[in-house]
Amino acid sequence: MTKNRKLIVPAVLAGIVLIVIGVIYVAEPAGSLPSFFPGHEAGSGHHHVKHALLAFVLGIGALVFAWFQTGPASRSA
Amino acid sequence: MHPISYFQAAVLGLLQGAAEPFPISSLGHGVILPRLAGWNIHQNDKFFLTFLVATHVATAIVLFLFFLKDWRRIFRGIGRSLRDREIRPDDSDARLGWLLVVGTIPAGAIGLLLEHPLRSLFASAASAAAFLMLNGVLLLVFERLRRRPPRPDDYLGDSDARIAKLSWRQAIGIGTAQAAALVPGISRSGITMGGGLLFGLSNEDAARYSFLLATPIIGAAGVLKLPELFGSDGDGVRGPALVGALCAAFTTYLAVKFLLKFFETNRLTPFGIYCLVAGFICTVLFAFGV
Repeated sequence: MTKNRKLIVPAVLAGIVLIVIGVIYVAEPAGSLPSFFPGHEAGSGHHHVKHALLAFVLGIGALVFAWFQTGPASRSA
Repeated sequence: MHPISYFQAAVLGLLQGAAEPFPISSLGHGVILPRLAGWNIHQNDKFFLTFLVATHVATAIVLFLFFLKDWRRIFRGIGRSLRDREIRPDDSDARLGWLLVVGTIPAGAIGLLLEHPLRSLFASAASAAAFLMLNGVLLLVFERLRRRPPRPDDYLGDSDARIAKLSWRQAIGIGTAQAAALVPGISRSGITMGGGLLFGLSNEDAARYSFLLATPIIGAAGVLKLPELFGSDGDGVRGPALVGALCAAFTTYLAVKFLLKFFETNRLTPFGIYCLVAGFICTVLFAFGV
């Protein structure tokens, strides 16, 4: 895997943001989500667990990607 | 009275277990069979979805246990790569592990977002039969367009090391294409095996990769819905679901064992022909009101 140190900070930020989004999806019902969130439904008490799970997985994926970018310079794969 | 009888559960379990690893769409068969048999079971019935959870979890467990040795190596490889913060060029276990991860994420994401709408849209047995024909065409096209014909030395050496030569893009492509199997009639294993062939794997390696890729996605889908099985949706279904799960476990084991041997010397072609013929016959039958 080619290493690109410039991607570490954006990937970490993206990971944190996605995990926070996941927490919001778990904590807030669809009616209380910010209106720009996918799944926002005024007055709905439904919790978007699938959206939360997706955000968590993508967030962890971004953090793992960042972790690999911090590794030693790659030998040719 | 159970909404699904023990006999129906056993038949559907045997079918699900066999059809999941075979490239013939277990979901499509699960939709078509009740219609042909005149059973009052429909794909979007809550009890049937709950029943499917049990059979899928059983299938995933059997797949996991069947390849347990490989999974141990893969987990160790992933652990090593995380520790070293790199995937060493000679560490095929680590590379295979991450190829499975990057192949699973897009399919899982699409599945989470589109499973329900797609199921609602293509719930009928008639559409499943039509897509079964399409699946047959795809299998035949995969064999036609495969990068290279089978060679005698295909099976020498470590299969996982050969699979690990797939590129990241190829793994993401195969993984994403799996999502097509959300449509009843399109086979997840058919798509992944076909993708493997297009990217230069042998039939046996493509089947192996398909089974490894199937385990996390089927397992996760099942585990996510387990609460439904143990909640009120599972009332009256748990007994038949257990029978169905045991039957599915049995036939999954036999099917995987058979297919790994079968693909040492054979191709996807017979399954393509089967899907075309079965899909066509069912389409005609449904058109005449069966």
